[in-house]
Amino acid sequence: MRILVLFITGLLAACGGEEGPPLLATDIEVSVPMPGTSISSAYMTLTNNSDEPIRITKVSSPQYALIEIHETTIDDNVARMRQVDELAVKPGESLRLQRGGIHLMMMQPATEIETVTLLLYDGDLLLMSMRTTPAAQEN
Amino acid sequence: MSLRNLILAFVLGAAMAAGIWAAINLQRTTAQPTTATVLPAGPEIAAFSLLDHDARPIDESIFKGQWDLVFFGFTNCPDICPITLQILSTAKQKLSESGQTPLPRIVFVSVDPERDTTDKMATYVNAFGDGNLGITGDIEELLKLTSGIGIYFEKHDSDDEFYTVDHSAVVIVIDPDGRFHSLFGAPHAIENFVHDLPLLMAY
Repeated sequence: MRILVLFITGLLAACGGEEGPPLLATDIEVSVPMPGTSISSAYMTLTNNSDEPIRITKVSSPQYALIEIHETTIDDNVARMRQVDELAVKPGESLRLQRGGIHLMMMQPATEIETVTLLLYDGDLLLMSMRTTPAAQEN
Repeated sequence: MSLRNLILAFVLGAAMAAGIWAAINLQRTTAQPTTATVLPAGPEIAAFSLLDHDARPIDESIFKGQWDLVFFGFTNCPDICPITLQILSTAKQKLSESGQTPLPRIVFVSVDPERDTTDKMATYVNAFGDGNLGITGDIEELLKLTSGIGIYFEKHDSDDEFYTVDHSAVVIVIDPDGRFHSLFGAPHAIENFVHDLPLLMAY
């Protein structure tokens, strides 16, 4: 089976400084909704190159009415998914959003999605904007 | 026979014996499932009345006649459910390419029958390949199926429009007699199924 996955093509830095972006997103994947559903998820690695902690408290997208930060856990063979308040990236460290772990849950998509823009905020402060284009992935 | 020949014969004999012992033990080691837990006397699947993804009424006899890999989840689950079904689908594809027969059927049982209509289930299970079976229906009947094999599920944030469902993440193996044969604990990996399934299905 083929799952269409949207990969990042452009990455706009946030909180710009002369030494490069303090927050960097790599290995970004955004799945398109599974057939028959309207929910998809996004994964990426966030790296904090600054000396200060970075918090991401909100993620939005023009293509999705609602995006929540979720974490899947499996304890004693029971899978649970819970909303978490924020993504915290310590100075000099990376945080991996991955399958079966922390991820972005994206709901109520627009009818036709050519590209996806994700906007990462700390409160009302925009930290980062990223744009994706679709690509097919064989599993 | 000289003493030297006698010693040589003894050494050769000992080496042969060691070789045979090693071969037998090696065979024993590789012939065991490494991930799946086999139930010594697995129960028959309890009687239930649900719907397949084509909205046809089904009962417990749907599990007779083939090996089934059964996973419980819901179509609005964006993470674990599609990942697990993709793992099962890829494992089945790999087994097919290696000439394995029989091949198991992949069964996805909804623990969210309120939202998972038969239409939704049909679209969903068909996205993971041909020959898959989706099951949904009345929740009371679903509980008859799940409680007999230790599957847990519970709605979380049930007042929320976008509620999720906590659920067992194991993959249940049902044998062609309709008995709960074995199970794979989570997290799952393609190679675990590729390794263990031919051994389980040869039992």
